[in-house]
Amino acid sequence: MLFLPDEARSLPPPPLVNKGSVWLGFAGWTAALLDNGFNHRPVIRAGVHRQILFTTVGWFVGYFLTKHTEYIHAKRDRELFEYVKQHPEDFKATEKKRIGELLEDFHPVR
Amino acid sequence: MAAPLRLVKGLRLAAGTPGLVLTRSAFVARKPNYDHPNWFGVGLAFGTTAALWVLLFKHHNEDVMEYERRQKERQHKCTGCS
Repeated sequence: MLFLPDEARSLPPPPLVNKGSVWLGFAGWTAALLDNGFNHRPVIRAGVHRQILFTTVGWFVGYFLTKHTEYIHAKRDRELFEYVKQHPEDFKATEKKRIGELLEDFHPVR
Repeated sequence: MAAPLRLVKGLRLAAGTPGLVLTRSAFVARKPNYDHPNWFGVGLAFGTTAALWVLLFKHHNEDVMEYERRQKERQHKCTGCS
């Protein structure tokens, strides 16, 4: 575990198929294919055990990285909303202007 | 002196084994022979793969259970004992 504090467990865990896992799994697979290429082996047909292992390691690391990322983002959002709540005078919603007020007066030149 | 040394080196290179080397070397480079697969390595790779997937599934399920438990606790705290 990436030493996440206990409160991180209150967040919904990322699904097993998540962005980080898919991307790092793909990166691991590509690394295995590159290894095949550099050692003059047939690129996709050789070393299937290696391809599966590298993909799995990427998937595994991706899951924990995604979890860590989500925690960091959630923490930042919580702090942001807390600040907004505590300083309402700085975040007043502006009155919506009507289009007629925004445009300049029209003086036709004919 | 040089000729017999060179002969010995030539013989050693041809055999592909270090044996008693007259020059020290950390390793001898060999061409990989794919007719004899490294079954131990293959077994280790598959074993590690299986172990990693098992660990991942277990960890994920624990996480989901813990999350749901905390959600329930929060519900219970908010609504009180009804």
